[in-house]
Amino acid sequence: MFPTPIHQRPIVNQYIYKIFLPISLIIWLIPIFGILMTSIRGLGDITAGNMWGTPSEFLLFSNLYDVFTNTPMIKYTLNSFKVTIPTMLGAVALSCMTGFALANYKFKTNLIIFFIFIAGNFVPFQILMIPVRDLTFKIGLYNTITGLVLFHVAFQTGFCTLFMRNFIKALPQELIEAARMDGASEFRIFWKIILPLTRPAIAALCVLIFTFIWNDYFWATVLIQGDHAMPITAGLKSLNGQWITAYHLLSTGSIVAAIPPVIMFFLMQKHFIAGLTLGATKG
Amino acid sequence: MKKVIISLIMMFGIISSTSFAGTLVINTDTSDAAPKKAFEYIIKKFEEENPDVTVKWNVFDHEGYKQSIRNFLNTDPPDVANWYAGNRMLPFVRAGLFEDVSDIWKDSGWVDGNLSENMEHAKKSMTIGGKQWGIPYTYYQWGVYYRKDLFTANGISVPKTWDDFVAACATLKAAGITPITIGSKYLWTTAGVFDYLNLRTNGYEFHMDLTLGKVPYTDPKVQAVFDKWDELVKPGYFLENHAALSWQEALTPMVNGEAAMYVMGNFAVAPLKEAGLRDSNLGFFQFPEITPGIPMAEEAPTDTVHIPSKAKNKTDAKRFLIFMSRADVQEEINKILGQLPINKNSSVKKGDPFLKAGLNMLNNAYAMAQFYDRDAPAQMASEGMKGFQEYMSNPDRRQKILERLEKVRQKVYK
Repeated sequence: MFPTPIHQRPIVNQYIYKIFLPISLIIWLIPIFGILMTSIRGLGDITAGNMWGTPSEFLLFSNLYDVFTNTPMIKYTLNSFKVTIPTMLGAVALSCMTGFALANYKFKTNLIIFFIFIAGNFVPFQILMIPVRDLTFKIGLYNTITGLVLFHVAFQTGFCTLFMRNFIKALPQELIEAARMDGASEFRIFWKIILPLTRPAIAALCVLIFTFIWNDYFWATVLIQGDHAMPITAGLKSLNGQWITAYHLLSTGSIVAAIPPVIMFFLMQKHFIAGLTLGATKG
Repeated sequence: MKKVIISLIMMFGIISSTSFAGTLVINTDTSDAAPKKAFEYIIKKFEEENPDVTVKWNVFDHEGYKQSIRNFLNTDPPDVANWYAGNRMLPFVRAGLFEDVSDIWKDSGWVDGNLSENMEHAKKSMTIGGKQWGIPYTYYQWGVYYRKDLFTANGISVPKTWDDFVAACATLKAAGITPITIGSKYLWTTAGVFDYLNLRTNGYEFHMDLTLGKVPYTDPKVQAVFDKWDELVKPGYFLENHAALSWQEALTPMVNGEAAMYVMGNFAVAPLKEAGLRDSNLGFFQFPEITPGIPMAEEAPTDTVHIPSKAKNKTDAKRFLIFMSRADVQEEINKILGQLPINKNSSVKKGDPFLKAGLNMLNNAYAMAQFYDRDAPAQMASEGMKGFQEYMSNPDRRQKILERLEKVRQKVYK
């Protein structure tokens, strides 16, 4: 088995592991700790250079109050849901169908189509920025939630298709053949046999896509201009004053923005980890 | 076919009837909290005073507005748009996109009497080709913010002349205090220092000629500015490693008493006070005189309102501009913004010594510079500020930097 489980390694390695794991964990978590600390400070502490020391005042609640009253943060959060949930549903639904078709039917262009889906993942966002902006502008979807959702669905479907196709391909072929013998229509096979079996994969994909889209900053700033459709990640910048970077409010806002994907992750944790390795063994 | 034509005519009828006189379209870039609130307030007040006018107000994103205004002035002009004074409005004036509003400035029949008199000090920055192109409604001062207690402890009084200023720096440095703090990570802070050195060494007219591209950067007069700058940079009077800090991070040494002065805009006062400084230990003074006899012009970025030349409802637009120039209106706007009114008859929030000092200084100023990145075109400004920062870190490269800026100037102002 790879990687070798730690308790089968030499005893020295086990000790090194036990010492360095907590150290590296702490190093990884320092920035998050810093954000947590900053979110309970006032701007005065930050200007005075008191970044890591004891906060002179405990201002978490007043910062939270400011975050929600100074800026349309509630609207931004709603916008984030309006973008994330349809994208999640759309990309997962489409990829279940494409994955099923690509895994089960033998036709000439099967591999080519599959590769096109995969190739989409390798195109850097930055290259697409201007054409996509122009495209949405010409269709009249620029600066709308629909435009952002459609783009995300299109872009995420590539990765989801790769994931679903490999997963469905790994399912026992006999199940489908048996259903065909019994005279089930292709749609019925998809609906009654494939979908229930792919449930863990669907759950994992949902979590993944939810986090991807929720955390998207790039496309939100490219395709959205006004408050009416701005998701929370891009909306955070409005917490800054005209002159002043409000680090304390930005930190508090970031924590608020991070809560939904974290909740989603912990709720679906089991599926998430199982799903990540599920399709991986057979390609 | 007839039906189509009739319905087309009807459609046009509907479209044109939506822009009937009495609707005033205002576009602004006031997406930040305080400016937004200020405009909410004045638009409400304007509608109350002019019940026959309905205002339609479009708020644009602060950054995006710089692009949008180019489009909408041509294609879909509002009746009033906000913008900035000085060379920033020059391209629009040249392209004939802003309406000449000299009549508002000349007419003495307005509520407040003679506008030209009440806003004389700001008139230069609104004038191009002998005409005025808009109304200024807010600005704020730049100058030197300093720690009073550190000055007293070292026996320094507020410097009025360049020699006093340099001597004060030397005393502070000897006492182990950084004389001037600055954070040049985002470049623009260096331009504040450059502007003042140039305004004081060569005067307002030369500074405008330079930012308009009429003078080469290798001119001896520009060299003279850098000679003065050398007197501060070479002995190490500026904060070390300033290139790694934002303007805000450079406030920290001042709060902690490790640095004594900051050449900054008035927006620095709020965070300094929040960090614990008080009126008793934080002070403000005008940037000292360098060349004796040169009239004192100040750095005061000014926000303005204009009428696009293609506006549909110019009558009400003028009413709005006159309204915006009134002392009481400017007073209210600037109370919300925490900035300074331009109209001399307005007063500022009582008990704020910084606003009071700024008001006195600007009301008596010879002219207003708008800040290097507003006075010079964007490309020149960005290269210029890069050069200033490089110079502050490596003063020996001055000649090379100036030659490079001269090349940029020749390209930009072609």
